Amino acid sequence: MEPMEPEELSSLVAAAVGGQDRAWERLVEHFSGLIWSIAGSYGLGRADAADVVQVTWLRLVEHAGRLRDPSRIGAWLVTTARRECLGLLRAGSREHVADDDETFERNGSWRSPESQVLESERARLVWRSFRQLGSRCQELLRALLFAYPALSYEQVAEALGMPIGSIGPTRARCLDQLRRKLGADVSLAE
Amino acid sequence: MSDDHGSPIPDEGQGHERLWRVLAEVVGAVDPVPPEVLQSGRDSFAWRTIDAELAALTYDSSSEPAAAAVVRGPEAPRQLTFEAPELTVGVEVTVLGAHRRLIGQLVPAQRALVTVRHQQGSAVAVEADELGRFRADDVPAGLCSLRCQLGGLQAGTPVVSDWVLL
Repeated sequence: MEPMEPEELSSLVAAAVGGQDRAWERLVEHFSGLIWSIAGSYGLGRADAADVVQVTWLRLVEHAGRLRDPSRIGAWLVTTARRECLGLLRAGSREHVADDDETFERNGSWRSPESQVLESERARLVWRSFRQLGSRCQELLRALLFAYPALSYEQVAEALGMPIGSIGPTRARCLDQLRRKLGADVSLAE
Repeated sequence: MSDDHGSPIPDEGQGHERLWRVLAEVVGAVDPVPPEVLQSGRDSFAWRTIDAELAALTYDSSSEPAAAAVVRGPEAPRQLTFEAPELTVGVEVTVLGAHRRLIGQLVPAQRALVTVRHQQGSAVAVEADELGRFRADDVPAGLCSLRCQLGGLQAGTPVVSDWVLL
């Protein structure tokens, strides 16, 4: 998947508003990595995170024709998803707390053939440490990992509401934090 | 490249390249976009409404700063306001275990058929009385939207609200 030019995005949104299923599907395929990055960064349980993604798409179904600038749809999606995450965290009526170990076990098939070097406990530590980072760090790192290359760096920056020039330094700061958390573990410092 | 892949976490002397690859591998494997999440995004399009006015969510008490929530108390019902050009819908949501009770008010007050559309397929229709009041009990938790057919069953442009997680 490659980044789309603003004109292409705008016409895709217009086609979806006009009722074209395929245009809608392309939007979903293009932006799901980004929205999942947001929904996964607030410590919500997986079911709640999935709900956040879905309510975000359902909102877009009604709002797509009303966007002031359809080419900025990424920023609109991020804003909507963030608001829902924070609302859920405050509502006090749901299974807020993510079980990070359960998530790790569920997808324990991560040991793909080419990655046998990174054994399970070390991977678990990386995952746990990553989950201890602040929401904004997790958002940015996930978005760079999963929204890119469908979105350009510029589009990731715009969607997250960050100046393009701060992406690199912020990413480095977040990775420094991650490294410090990992460094406390002797087996990873070797 | 593959030699570095998945190697131990790099020490301070190295750049972030290896840490980045390790992180990509771990997070990509542990928490990828679930296929069902992708599919539910695709399926959302089926809820597209044509010839309906949108009542956009303009107020949600759960989006208030935490301090305000403390003042109201954790058990206070959630307040939602949806606004369309000629109709405002206020809804108070009470959590009752896995269900929600909705008590609503149409402004201006008028009779209407209010359907609580549930993303999982069920729909509950209740009537708003001449004072614009309506009530729906036993709405399952989940994604909901209200569809208001003003003036009761007479044909007219319906008003649909934004979807909300209840």
